[in-house]
Amino acid sequence: MTAYSVSIWPALEAACLTSERSPSLAESTSEQLMERYVDGEAEAFEFLYRRVSPNLMGYLLRLTRNRERAEDLLQITFSKIHRARGSFLKGAPVLPWILAIARRSFLDERRSAQVRTEDLSPDGSLPEQQNEERPLPAELSDALEVALDRLPENYREAIVLTKITGLSVAEAASVLGATETAVKLRVHRGYTQLRKELEQYSRTP
Amino acid sequence: MSMPKPDPLADLPWPKPEAPGEAVSAKICGACTKNLCPKRGLSALSRLCLCLAVSGLVASFGYWFGVRHQRSELGLRVGLYGAVAWGLVQAAVLYIGFAPRRGVLGSRSVRVGLAVLFPVLFLGYLSYAAWSYVPFEQFSHGARASHAFFCGLIALGFGAIVGGCVLLAWRGTDPITPRLSGTLAGFVGGVGGALAVGIGCPSHEAWHLWTAHGLIVLALGLMGFVAGRRLLSP
Repeated sequence: MTAYSVSIWPALEAACLTSERSPSLAESTSEQLMERYVDGEAEAFEFLYRRVSPNLMGYLLRLTRNRERAEDLLQITFSKIHRARGSFLKGAPVLPWILAIARRSFLDERRSAQVRTEDLSPDGSLPEQQNEERPLPAELSDALEVALDRLPENYREAIVLTKITGLSVAEAASVLGATETAVKLRVHRGYTQLRKELEQYSRTP
Repeated sequence: MSMPKPDPLADLPWPKPEAPGEAVSAKICGACTKNLCPKRGLSALSRLCLCLAVSGLVASFGYWFGVRHQRSELGLRVGLYGAVAWGLVQAAVLYIGFAPRRGVLGSRSVRVGLAVLFPVLFLGYLSYAAWSYVPFEQFSHGARASHAFFCGLIALGFGAIVGGCVLLAWRGTDPITPRLSGTLAGFVGGVGGALAVGIGCPSHEAWHLWTAHGLIVLALGLMGFVAGRRLLSP
């Protein structure tokens, strides 16, 4: 009897403590998932990926306006996260950290693309920039996408982070490396421009 | 009681977040979970303590140097008290500048304010600690100038050790403002180096302190600004 209770107690205690310490993966916050991923739990990464990748993809899509480039950047971002997981500080918010890495990757990629040589067309001239204005589509949701594309980059980023990615103003400010007031100002100015672009929709019955 | 402000953009049909393609997701999950092993870095507190320990070690070397060269007891004591007090300030700067923060302390403007205030306060302290003053023409020639150059070189070396340690201890932790954090690391290193040299340095002349001890802080802050992007960004 004594031997039985002695052998079963540590296992029972360990099971209770484990279930108390680590909630199920589905119930865990992104920060807890990141902690468990850092501790080497592969499933935690998959849950974390499923939770943050749509937001991250949406953000990168609107930065690059190109699905292939966005997916490339998504891979680069996650490979950086994987390499840097040991330096993730416990208690730091995960989503702004990941978005900031994605943004930095985008800026690095754009900078290196700018110094890349441009291919000449067969007649030896440089390809011309296409500056054609896209007309607004009939559907409001599509028109919103086009109007978002037309916004200056800093306004668009502020709006995408707060309205589509769902970050708070403070979190968006930390991703953009700007003050909260600056982010509010960008969102407001972007909003004014968006309204101007979308005016025709409010006029139609 | 005030009503919450209505969101002027709430009525727009905002696009939903989009999932990446299945192939890309499988590739990423495969790469990130293959042979996954625990990779836990130091905690923020351990990193902070490590930086302070290196700064303390450098300061104690300065003290040893001062005792060995029979500096005045008053000068040694003032330098040591200054080092202890500035050690606390360094700890606060490291905590606010590098540890994960939420709320007011986490805001960028607080850290920018810190990056401006910290070196200004230190230069103010050096001016306060100066016991004598000679005109710049006298200071810039002869033995005084060469002593300042020698002192500045040692302070730069000590500061680079402390600043480098801060950069390495917090390596890859700041994807958001790595340059700002790098500048803070440089300032912390510069102050550490200047204090260590200050303990053993016999000169308390104002120009000497401003140039040989103070300018080093600004120089290391600039170096930290440059190195921060490479070292602190993941």
